[in-house]
Amino acid sequence: MIFKVAWRNIWRSRTRSLVVISAVVLGIWAIIVITGFSIGMVRTYIHTAILNEWSHIQIHRSDYFVDKALEDTLPNGFAIYQNLKNEFPEELLSPRLLVQGMVSSPKAARGVTIKAIQPGPENATTELQDHLSQGQYLDVDSRNPMLIGEDLADKIQVSLNNRVVLTFQSYSGEITAASFRIVGLYKTKDSRYDSQHIFVRQEDIKKLLGGDGLHEIAIRVPDGTDFQPIMDRIVKEYPGLDVQSYKTLSPDLELYESTIGLTSTIMTIIVMLALIFGIINTMMMAVLERIKELGMLMAIGMNKQRVFFMILIETLLLGCIGAPIGMLVGYVTILLTSNTGLDLSAYSAGMREFGLSDIIYPWVPPTIYWQLAIAVVITALIGSLFPALRAIRLRPVEAIRTL
Amino acid sequence: MKPVIVTKGITKTYQPDTIPVHALRGVDLTIKEGEFVAIVGPSGSGKTTLLNIIGGLDRPSEGYIEVGGKDISALSDNALIDFRRDNIGFVFQAYNLIPVLTALENVEFVMLLQKLPKDQRHKRALELLHAVGLDDKISKRPIELSGGQQQRVAVARALASKPAFVLADEPTANLDSVSTGQLLDIMANLNREEQMTFVFSTHDQRVIDRAHRIITLEDGKIISDQLGHG
Repeated sequence: MIFKVAWRNIWRSRTRSLVVISAVVLGIWAIIVITGFSIGMVRTYIHTAILNEWSHIQIHRSDYFVDKALEDTLPNGFAIYQNLKNEFPEELLSPRLLVQGMVSSPKAARGVTIKAIQPGPENATTELQDHLSQGQYLDVDSRNPMLIGEDLADKIQVSLNNRVVLTFQSYSGEITAASFRIVGLYKTKDSRYDSQHIFVRQEDIKKLLGGDGLHEIAIRVPDGTDFQPIMDRIVKEYPGLDVQSYKTLSPDLELYESTIGLTSTIMTIIVMLALIFGIINTMMMAVLERIKELGMLMAIGMNKQRVFFMILIETLLLGCIGAPIGMLVGYVTILLTSNTGLDLSAYSAGMREFGLSDIIYPWVPPTIYWQLAIAVVITALIGSLFPALRAIRLRPVEAIRTL
Repeated sequence: MKPVIVTKGITKTYQPDTIPVHALRGVDLTIKEGEFVAIVGPSGSGKTTLLNIIGGLDRPSEGYIEVGGKDISALSDNALIDFRRDNIGFVFQAYNLIPVLTALENVEFVMLLQKLPKDQRHKRALELLHAVGLDDKISKRPIELSGGQQQRVAVARALASKPAFVLADEPTANLDSVSTGQLLDIMANLNREEQMTFVFSTHDQRVIDRAHRIITLEDGKIISDQLGHG
């Protein structure tokens, strides 16, 4: 019956209770949506970075990253590539030759990384062809074709079908220059990446370099597959090579991944702190306007523990009505937006600067609902303490006399 | 008849640090089982203070008080609450029912605090509401009842825990004469038929006229203790 009394008590001041319940609903909804949005943003960023730039795993010669020199190729690189292809038929592999050089137009020049690739495997691994905004992919019948990022093309003021000069060092140490024709412009979600990389065919550049070789084998695992076991196997099989995942290749991705859990926790703490004050205020009013009644209850034999418990239940009920509604509305909001995505193309020019996609697919980890349920209960408990203590400090003889 | 309430040399002094107000100045009183007692006196005579002390709501500054053979002046706050629940029935001037509960639930509530099983609670609550003539109002909330009806629910509630006695602080102060008459009839019946002890504080001549014993207080002292006409 204490539950019945508590339940009916919260509806005595309908408006006041509804205000608190609405605050809980709104708070929970906001936590879910903001968390979903920020996690969605981070996940999209990580996904894009893995897809376009890093893949899941990269294999280099052990000392490649010391100075990324041309001669730091993988020993027997093509044999390794073939072996890996046979061993991991499901995974997508791209063998690359990386050359640091300069791209020059008649108007400007820029330092770039020239990615000499095999068009088929590269496209399978990074979906490069899908990012073409103009022109064609590298699998054209043309001499020295080249893909350039739109941002870089703007900077050096060139356009489709223009010729540019690539200058780099050959294996013999000579400075070599050759003319390449821009057959396509690409645009990924990351403008920084686009302004630093150009793509050419391996077969074209090896003649100019005066030798062959591979610097990098990138491996992307299919969606939904864990890359770690694959990476562990490669590490075991090729102990002399540098095998890294995107997490160590690009520590910012690892950092972003680790913020996923943190975001919801911080949001929850902020919102719950705000809710506590609302709850204390409401329950304090509920106690103060019922002093006489609480005094009567103690007079007729309701002990302090029960009075305390009743105030606690009333507070919990306020939270427990609001929380599921807020969760449901939040869940539906995430459900509706996670498929279609939120189109932020109006702001995407700025977002691309940071490598962020213009469409965000909000997502929350399912555990957030449990976290929130626990957080609401804790909040209600803390919020009820002060009013409940106030209630049991009443002395019935004084409380009854109150008008 | 055995004594239900025994007080010896009870004094109550408020604000003893500043200017002391002596609400009670040595009250010796014995009330026996089955008595129907009115405590009367002008405002400020100490009626309510005496009632609060007898009811275990307040503690005397000095003196000894025994209810149902038990010294209650030494009980802790929580023990006192339990003692009130099991031994004393309260009827307040302003009815003081639980507004969110129906008449039946209000009567059941005290028995719930006593942890009685639901069917027993329900049965006794129905009997008590029948005894106060409210069979047809059991599912009404206080706000749907008249003042007299609310006070009758309060009487039923006071009796629910099978107390040693019922304390009623000016129970008729807010009632019209018809309701007052009905209420007094009910209480007199319970007193006569079930030997329930009633102690009132009152100004109301209609109550005084029905009392078996009238104790008059003035300036915190009993100035007369005589048989009534009831």
